[in-house]
Amino acid sequence: MKLDWSETDERFRGELLAFLEAKTPPEATRVDFPGNASGGDAIPAWLRAWQATLFDHGWMIPGYPPELGGRNCTPTQTMIYLEEFARRRIPRATHFPGYAIVAPSLLEFGNEQQRSLAPAAIRGDTVWCVGMSEPNAGSDLASLRTRAVRDGDVFVVNGQKVWTSYAMVAQQCFCYVRTDPDAPKHKGISLLIIDMDTPGIEVRPLTHITGHADFAEVFFTDVKVPVANLVGELNGGWALTQGSLAHERAGLWVDGVARLEQTVRDLVDLAKLVGRHDDSGVRRAIASMFEQASSLRSLGYKGFASYAQGSSAPEHSYMKMASSEAGKAAFELGMELLGPFGAATGAGSPTTLGDDTGRWVTSFYVSFANTIAGGSSEIQRNIIAQRVLGLPRA
Amino acid sequence: MDFTLTDEQQLLVDTLRTVLANECPPSLLREHHDCRGAHAPLWEHLRGFAELGRGDATDACLVFDELGYAAAPGPFFASVGLFAGLLEAIDADSALRDAVAAGEVVGTVAAADSQGIWHANDDLVKTFIPDADLAQLIAVVSATDDAMFVTILPHPGPSALAEIETVDPSRKYFRWDTGDEIGAAIPCTPMQWRAFLDRSFALASAETLGAARRCFSMALEYAKEREQFDRPIGSFQAIQHKLAEMSLLVERATAALHYAAMAIDADHADRTSACHVAKAAAGVAARRCLKDSIQIHGGIGYTWEHDLHLFLRRATVAETQFGTTSWHHDRLADVLFA
Ligand SMILES: Cc1cc2nc3c(=O)[nH]c(=O)nc-3n(C[C@H](O)[C@H](O)[C@H](O)COP(=O)(O)OP(=O)(O)OC[C@H]3O[C@@H](n4cnc5c(N)ncnc54)[C@H](O)[C@@H]3O)c2cc1C
Repeated sequence: MKLDWSETDERFRGELLAFLEAKTPPEATRVDFPGNASGGDAIPAWLRAWQATLFDHGWMIPGYPPELGGRNCTPTQTMIYLEEFARRRIPRATHFPGYAIVAPSLLEFGNEQQRSLAPAAIRGDTVWCVGMSEPNAGSDLASLRTRAVRDGDVFVVNGQKVWTSYAMVAQQCFCYVRTDPDAPKHKGISLLIIDMDTPGIEVRPLTHITGHADFAEVFFTDVKVPVANLVGELNGGWALTQGSLAHERAGLWVDGVARLEQTVRDLVDLAKLVGRHDDSGVRRAIASMFEQASSLRSLGYKGFASYAQGSSAPEHSYMKMASSEAGKAAFELGMELLGPFGAATGAGSPTTLGDDTGRWVTSFYVSFANTIAGGSSEIQRNIIAQRVLGLPRA
Repeated sequence: MDFTLTDEQQLLVDTLRTVLANECPPSLLREHHDCRGAHAPLWEHLRGFAELGRGDATDACLVFDELGYAAAPGPFFASVGLFAGLLEAIDADSALRDAVAAGEVVGTVAAADSQGIWHANDDLVKTFIPDADLAQLIAVVSATDDAMFVTILPHPGPSALAEIETVDPSRKYFRWDTGDEIGAAIPCTPMQWRAFLDRSFALASAETLGAARRCFSMALEYAKEREQFDRPIGSFQAIQHKLAEMSLLVERATAALHYAAMAIDADHADRTSACHVAKAAAGVAARRCLKDSIQIHGGIGYTWEHDLHLFLRRATVAETQFGTTSWHHDRLADVLFA
């Protein structure tokens, strides 16, 4: 056990900060919370350019080799990287499915041709969506029903996906389908790469409670997908869903914790702004958030350095659950501090509140998604209980 | 930043676990309820670890976590945790430090004021002096407006100290109205005091956490064994989710503790804040684990006969000592709002 950053780690941090100093676009620092950065169905041009810049300089996924937008850095350095971004509230990209889920899965499970799609997914040149959830398959993903039937050189796909983030702007869909309806439900699922402009696909945007349309329903009617677009084994898709979810969880916790630490600093500023900085209840509540954020950060460092290698660990569930739940509580505390103006969104609020008007309630709403998407908190508790603690299934 | 235990640390933990499993079973804790001398054979083993009192905080935290897990009775915490830590911080007489490190001399610390708060104070009444009845020496910490002092006194005799009874008979706490008996004193700078406090908070977190971890692991074990409705109660989701939350709090507090200990050893700028975080996180884990471990045990957990309460008591008192969770949150707020 030793707390110090090696000289190489400090040099890494120095290089990163110099890069950010020189290249961060002005718009990036104005993005308040990753997650609502796009504010609609389009990905802003500056953000696409920024993602490409990050890739070209080896700063998109620094743990990867240069041809994949990285610089072969260590897991510890990846954490330094993610923390520096979060501290400055600089987003890397809004559409995370491509670089956080699809690319790592393709690299792990794809054939040579499919692996060659990874760089564009990470650079953001190709926008991907992930088609897992369906109306009757959410937490119980293995119940998915979208059918793919082999017909010569193609699979013919029929069915429906839902809550598909970025489906409106995506060129490609990482789509889980049922290829053997007679097998036990985990054993009849396959993964297909589907071009979103294939005839027979219809995308109907759904609006979030925040008012932005960021996800969609996707309907497939006799969509013909080349057999070469099968990723991994036929009927072997379940193992890949486990992979995708692990990548998602692993990548998001560092962001989640670092953002939480930033939110605690914002709560301190807000308490001063509204004159509650001497209120012992408020001070204690904020200090408790700080305690959670900083101990979760230690937990992240302690157990999850394997993150950068993209390997899956059930312990990621601790981080996913705790950082998403704590985030919700932190934004709620911000609303509390604003009192009667906690739910006000703009016009008519005191001008002294400045940017804090509406910001906390919006983030509070956005934080609801984090305890549902990517495996709900209840599902994380099930995973911890059964896979970490070894309790028997019901 | 490296959280992995070295081979030596792993060996230390394994060795201590074996000692405690053999020498500190629940039966010893029960015996100790009625007979204060029952800890003596255990102390004969533990004094071999007394050198840790002046060693790395990382090693010491691993050890105190195990001692909390076993709710070990005896003067180890008072002497090796507190007394030795204070002697090191103020650079006291080396012969005395050697004797304490060899487990030959047993001391304790009187610093908390009459309200039980661990801060610099000029109160002549000191409270929550741990296991003073087992100590030969008591280090009294006092402060004036601009200076602090440590006075090392021989134990003033049983009649001078009054016990502060708590729910946990595995450790006794005392109150001492020192009057004006305090004589020659060693000066203690604010930095030395801070170093002592930070280390004490970290070690107290370790003990608190160990006790919480014991309550949690007993509940986990029971949930796998106990059957109702023809299946283990651990298959019920309500029970699973309780255990998942408890384990999160234990894991989070462990990470916070290890970070704090590393910050002490590195004399990192984060040290004080990390120690407040560690004790608060351990306190949160302790409260949750002691309540829910009883709930998961049902009626049997509520009996004197079952061993759970032996550890629950240690967890309950440990949360209240060396700063309650709320007190540490208040100190963190002072840093955040500075
Ligand atoms: C903002 C957002 C973006 C999303 N983006 C995508 C995407 O891009 N691609 C995609 O495929 N999906 C996406 N999703 C869908 C997401 O993965 C699902 O919402 C999630 O898996 C839960 O499924 P569900 O909504 O059907 O809820 P349900 O599974 O119906 O769950 C409803 C409630 O029941 C609880 N529950 C369910 N099963 C259990 C159980 N076994 N034990 C205890 N409680 C249980 C849940 O925790 C929840 O509280 C997104 C969701 C959101 C909110």
